[in-house]
Amino acid sequence: MTFTGTIGVLCMYPLRAIINLCVRLHLHPNLLTLTGVVINIGAAWALGVGQFRTAGFIMILANVFDFIDGKVAERTSLASHFGSFWDSVMDRFSDILLLIGLICLYAQIGRTDYVLIAALTLMFSVMTSYTRARAESLIEKCKVGFMERPERIVLFMIGAFTNRMAGVLWVILILSVVTVLDRIYFTWRELEKKRRESNI
Amino acid sequence: MTLKELLWLPITIIWQALFWTFERGTWQYDLMVIAILAFVWIIPPALLGDPMAEGPGLIGLISEMFFQNP
Repeated sequence: MTFTGTIGVLCMYPLRAIINLCVRLHLHPNLLTLTGVVINIGAAWALGVGQFRTAGFIMILANVFDFIDGKVAERTSLASHFGSFWDSVMDRFSDILLLIGLICLYAQIGRTDYVLIAALTLMFSVMTSYTRARAESLIEKCKVGFMERPERIVLFMIGAFTNRMAGVLWVILILSVVTVLDRIYFTWRELEKKRRESNI
Repeated sequence: MTLKELLWLPITIIWQALFWTFERGTWQYDLMVIAILAFVWIIPPALLGDPMAEGPGLIGLISEMFFQNP
């Protein structure tokens, strides 16, 4: 097993207990999704005031809710198209909130360069999700590119806990730009293939 | 492996890293994660002009130990 796979398996142990608890308490998965976003407001605030470690802990809590909502929906047979849509929309709010927190922080300390980097990261994080969603309305699957939401969130936490947010922002920005380009290229290639096949 | 394939190998590696199609849980994914963590933790924060980071980072620490001590 790979080392990232091992970390995933280890993280699943406490999460399974939380999922079981939520199922027993009959908590609605959509409520869990919303709770994650509300908690992320706290993380954004902590980032905005430069309390990175606190932000890291709040992010862990928020993302527990974000992770378990889908599993609880499966276990309680409450999985629905609306639930999946709701989850995607709330995820975008969470992403944007965290980066707004950083933009506020860098603006307060007068670092226009990092305000710009955080704003570009925000733009490309949203575009990463949008390109996939739009592409999958035209082609079957568009799962290319490295920097998806789980990677972004884990990197954010690493940046917060180790106080290396600038490095993390650069990585997220560059890899998000590459991911958006990957998705545009992949969609173009797939659509061209379809067009050629229909012409034959 | 032919000479042509050998010459194309670096370009293939760069292309596959940029046009990412690997799943999570593969060794390629692990390698990418290690590269990212190395960048985040090893690069001195001063090089990126990090406004919040404290300390010189791993490279800064090593260079301080070996090159700045009398």
